[in-house]
Amino acid sequence: MKKVYIPAALLSLLGLVDALYLTVEHLTGETVRCTILSGCSEVLSSRYAVVAGFPLASIGAVAYFTVFSLATLAAFGYRAAGTLLTPILSAMFVVSLWLIYLQAFVIREFCQYCLFSAAITSALLLLVVIGRFVLKPASV
Amino acid sequence: MKRILPFIIILIVLALALGSAWYLTRSVPSAPTVVGQQASPQQSPGAQTTPVQQLGPFNAGIPGADPPHTHGQASAPAHLEEFGDFECPPCGAFHPILKQMEQEFGDKLHVTFREFPLVPTHQHALAAASAAEAAGLQGKFWEMHDLLYDRQTAWKTQFDVRSVFEGYAKEIGIDVERYKRDVGSDLVQQRIFQDGKRGHSLGVKGTPTVFLNGREVPFEQLQADQLRVVIQREIEAKK
Repeated sequence: MKKVYIPAALLSLLGLVDALYLTVEHLTGETVRCTILSGCSEVLSSRYAVVAGFPLASIGAVAYFTVFSLATLAAFGYRAAGTLLTPILSAMFVVSLWLIYLQAFVIREFCQYCLFSAAITSALLLLVVIGRFVLKPASV
Repeated sequence: MKRILPFIIILIVLALALGSAWYLTRSVPSAPTVVGQQASPQQSPGAQTTPVQQLGPFNAGIPGADPPHTHGQASAPAHLEEFGDFECPPCGAFHPILKQMEQEFGDKLHVTFREFPLVPTHQHALAAASAAEAAGLQGKFWEMHDLLYDRQTAWKTQFDVRSVFEGYAKEIGIDVERYKRDVGSDLVQQRIFQDGKRGHSLGVKGTPTVFLNGREVPFEQLQADQLRVVIQREIEAKK
């Protein structure tokens, strides 16, 4: 079981870097400028990019850090941390689906960093679900 | 030791995350500023939410399309040059701010618009730039420019914008048949290309990018309250 949490911790680090990058770009105003390489401005300058005064990306960074912490603790044998991962990642996955819906049907633009984050969350959930419910504890 | 090792790892990652975020944002003076979430026009002149930063270094760049599209008197002490993309939302949000500045500063502000369509980020950006340039050949560039920005949200999601822009051409009172010929002409494409080359020579990477008397205005200063201060400072310096 522990072995699943090591790649989960590493994956969540990738998500953390992605979310931190978006947070920094949001705070410096760079992602809200249109550029040749990125279509993020439409998404990140939309009203959905800020929740209760906080950049959505910063909330994502907190979520990824939480997942990283729990996965690290679980990898070192803290079983309660592993149990918490599934509901947290499920919530993050639902939020990711909602954000993809917003990008596809409301804003009608995609931000590659947001899609990357959704992919990371999906992979994390898949990994943890496989680890907890599919693989037998002795073989994982 | 093994019991506390995960906590040490977590603390190290937390410190690295917060440290790098702080390092990368330390040049930002205050809360997030998004063009489009500007200070209200009712805000008192000169009022600032963030300190005004220094403009970038002077850069003459290579010439753009000639003649350029300009507003105001050439003798004005403040020359503002915008590189814009009609499909870019922050450019659309900046449009009323620039209008407001032109009203406030009158003949002290000279404005030039340069085409910088972001292809392929924006699927209709080149068509919109072509529409504005084609209208310009009939002396109605600014009318088309204003219409494209004012109705950006209406046309940017359309599949075929050609007929929409032809409707705009009719609305601003130009010869639509000539417009249809001009919009795909070499002359129009050359003008857009030339403005793009000028933008690249000035280091323009995104839109809107604004230069004031040849020096780039930091993006986060493109709010009414701060741009007003920046322009005023340039005018004072020219006295």
